[in-house]
Amino acid sequence: MKTPDIFYVEDDIDYAFFMQSAVQEVKDTLNLTIVEDGTEALVRLQNFAESKTKPKLILLDLNLPGLSGLDLLKFIKEIPYLKTIPVILFSTSDNPDDVKAAIEFGANAYLTKPNGYDNLVKCVHSVHDFWFNHHLRLN
Amino acid sequence: MNKFSVDLTNCDKEPIHIPGKIQSHGFLIAVDISTYNISYISENALHFLNFSSKDLLDKPLAVVNNLIKTQAVEFDIEDLLKLGIIRRSFDAISPYPIEINERPFYLIISRSQNEWLLEFEPVTLQYDIQSSIGRSASAMLQGRTVATLLKGAAAEVKKLINYDRIMIYKFLDDGHGEVVAEEKEADLEPFFGLHYPASDIPKQARELYKLNLNRLIADVNTEDSPIITFKENQPLDLTNAGLRAVSPIHIQYLKNMGVHSSFSISLISRGELWGLIACHNYSPKFIDYKAREGSKLIGQILSSALEYRQNEEDSEIVKQFKDTAGILAEHLSRDKYLVDALTGHKKNILDVTKATGVALIFENELHTIGSVPSNDEINALAEWLGSSNDESVYYTHRLSEIFHPAKKYKDIASGILSCSLSKELNEMIIWFKPEQISTVKWAGNPDKPVTPSENGLLSLSPRKSFEIWSQVVSNTSEKWLPEEITSVLRIREIIITDVNKKANEIRLLNEKLQAAYEELDTFSYTISHDLRTPLTSIKTYAELMLKNKSIDEHGKKMLGRILTGADKMNFLIKEILNLARVGRSEINLETVDMQSLLKEIIAEVWTAYKADKVELVLGRLPDLKGDKTLIGQVFTNLLTNSVKYSSMVDKPKIEVSAYIDAGEIIYYVKDNGIGIDNRYYDRVFELFKRMDNVKDIDGTGVGLAIVKRVVEKHHGRVWFESKLNAGSTFYLAFKNK
Repeated sequence: MKTPDIFYVEDDIDYAFFMQSAVQEVKDTLNLTIVEDGTEALVRLQNFAESKTKPKLILLDLNLPGLSGLDLLKFIKEIPYLKTIPVILFSTSDNPDDVKAAIEFGANAYLTKPNGYDNLVKCVHSVHDFWFNHHLRLN
Repeated sequence: MNKFSVDLTNCDKEPIHIPGKIQSHGFLIAVDISTYNISYISENALHFLNFSSKDLLDKPLAVVNNLIKTQAVEFDIEDLLKLGIIRRSFDAISPYPIEINERPFYLIISRSQNEWLLEFEPVTLQYDIQSSIGRSASAMLQGRTVATLLKGAAAEVKKLINYDRIMIYKFLDDGHGEVVAEEKEADLEPFFGLHYPASDIPKQARELYKLNLNRLIADVNTEDSPIITFKENQPLDLTNAGLRAVSPIHIQYLKNMGVHSSFSISLISRGELWGLIACHNYSPKFIDYKAREGSKLIGQILSSALEYRQNEEDSEIVKQFKDTAGILAEHLSRDKYLVDALTGHKKNILDVTKATGVALIFENELHTIGSVPSNDEINALAEWLGSSNDESVYYTHRLSEIFHPAKKYKDIASGILSCSLSKELNEMIIWFKPEQISTVKWAGNPDKPVTPSENGLLSLSPRKSFEIWSQVVSNTSEKWLPEEITSVLRIREIIITDVNKKANEIRLLNEKLQAAYEELDTFSYTISHDLRTPLTSIKTYAELMLKNKSIDEHGKKMLGRILTGADKMNFLIKEILNLARVGRSEINLETVDMQSLLKEIIAEVWTAYKADKVELVLGRLPDLKGDKTLIGQVFTNLLTNSVKYSSMVDKPKIEVSAYIDAGEIIYYVKDNGIGIDNRYYDRVFELFKRMDNVKDIDGTGVGLAIVKRVVEKHHGRVWFESKLNAGSTFYLAFKNK
């Protein structure tokens, strides 16, 4: 399997669909892999570590059934091979406590899910511009 | 010898039990209890025994055996005495019939301190009186009420002793007496209903009446016989002696009334001297020992009957009071309101006592039943009662003498009985009894039992005048009975228990309401949160479809409507979320710089509503103590409203300012917009309520509900003044601490 550019964990299939569209609209060559639950995400992350392939960016929904976004974040930051991948927490919650927890666990950014498609496209644009700037890339 | 001389200062201390003399219709011999030698003897023993009294002193009692005769062949008076001592009672021995010089006598033995008293008195009754006493007792007991019982008793005693006048005399609370029943010879002036001052029968005399249940004064005009003895300064105690001489003062008292012989029988009820059966004869008349004993028995039967009848009458009252208390308790448990339960039924708090009016002061309201003073008068009385006494129950039957303003309504309320329900709130019940103008007819002026003697000093002398002397007693009601006070205490307990129970119910209800409110907040928060996600999906799909080039203009228009609807709904959800947050969050008190906060809000609102043409006036903007986020929300909502509802006015003008008033900082936001119809005043702050005149302006009906909730959370107040088509001013009062 091809290593994705962006690995996205999202249980809301609607939002996953919007993200797919938005990413394509921003840059149709970007490879986006979406996983719907925490347990499957965990398996995939272990595979990345074993096969020594890693995505350029990980997006985690905060509220997931079973393992939460924070659990996955903790897992990523504990594996030396994965911990350098930028992780963005992506949630509908704007609760300051959630933001604080995410940053404390080592998230590289916390984004509130934008309202509406146009806003989402704008958001993906900025994410792409910031994290996919080749000159600044670590790996 | 008795050296006591009576004067004004010691009149009620006269030692009447040791007069040193006896009445001379009999004689007395006293025997030392250890030696059986004669230690005292009355001088007149000489006349009866024909033997020098003096010569008998210090002789063994047995010397008397030669002077008297009995039915028994070998009679020994000392053996008779010893028999009684062994039996510890002389009841079966006295009266012991003997003969002295062929004349029949009774020997009556009783105890003094160190002596046995042997009294000898003539036998005058020729027939056996026993059977007529039984008949008298049953005739007397026919009386159903206390009054008829007394009347019957007087009649029966008259038959037994045949005196000219038989009175039943009752002691009242202050010690004075009243004639409550009378039987007399037809030609005599009636004494029935007359009152006698307490000094007529001094205290120590009343004590003796409790010990000696009857007392005969055979003839006020005979001279008493002195008791002689060899014992110096040891007067013989004659408490138990029937022959005991009478106080010279009492003799004079009787003489002044024209009485020659007097006989009294004590009436004892519940251990106290209830009264006397007082018998007068207008010529000397001795009563045989057995007739006296018979009368005494009548007195005892009457005493216990009185006690029983009185108990019966009392318990009837108690039963009625208890029934009323039971009925009221039932009303209290069934009725919603305490006042209705106590005053609204046929049986009400008036029936708790024998009062003629009652006032209930509860929750700052006055309710009355029956005959009561005016509301203002009752309120003034209640205030006085609240401030002047700490007891839970207060009563008087002479109110106007203690509380002078009550003079004005003494005809309605000379007696009051009040019980406090709550000291803090001065809640109470007051029962009223009217003035009872009673006329007391005294047998003579009760204030003048003393007369100045010739040398100008006051000296004690019994009243000479028994002319009827009337006295009007005013400012006084019928007295409050102990049963009434008990009844009031009982009902007070019932009411207080009920009040506490209801307060508890309200507290529980409050807790439930609180819990329900919290649950509703959690519910609103969760539901609005969960609603947002699918709403976002709807909106986003609509946006995505708008990008699809194959959709025609008509389809695009519909998608546009979907987007507008979704936005509206999103806004509403956000507002509800905000409202729920006010309830859920703890307020975070800090000093809020209102100057900068308001500038921020104004900039935001003016941009959002493009309110450039609005004239803004900012006044004093003092800092507030409060939660910055919540206060920001309040002013955002108020300013948004002002801008929205004045947007159609020619020259919109909005003023924000504050002033300080009595410990409160009062902010106001004033506009000259469309205003609010005052008919809807109460509904303005209700959730989802929007006025008729703002249908065309976007709004959710949540904004002012949030304002109210935030202000209340800060323990402040919010209100508004408004005029349709002229503008509204919203006021916010925060505690200035």
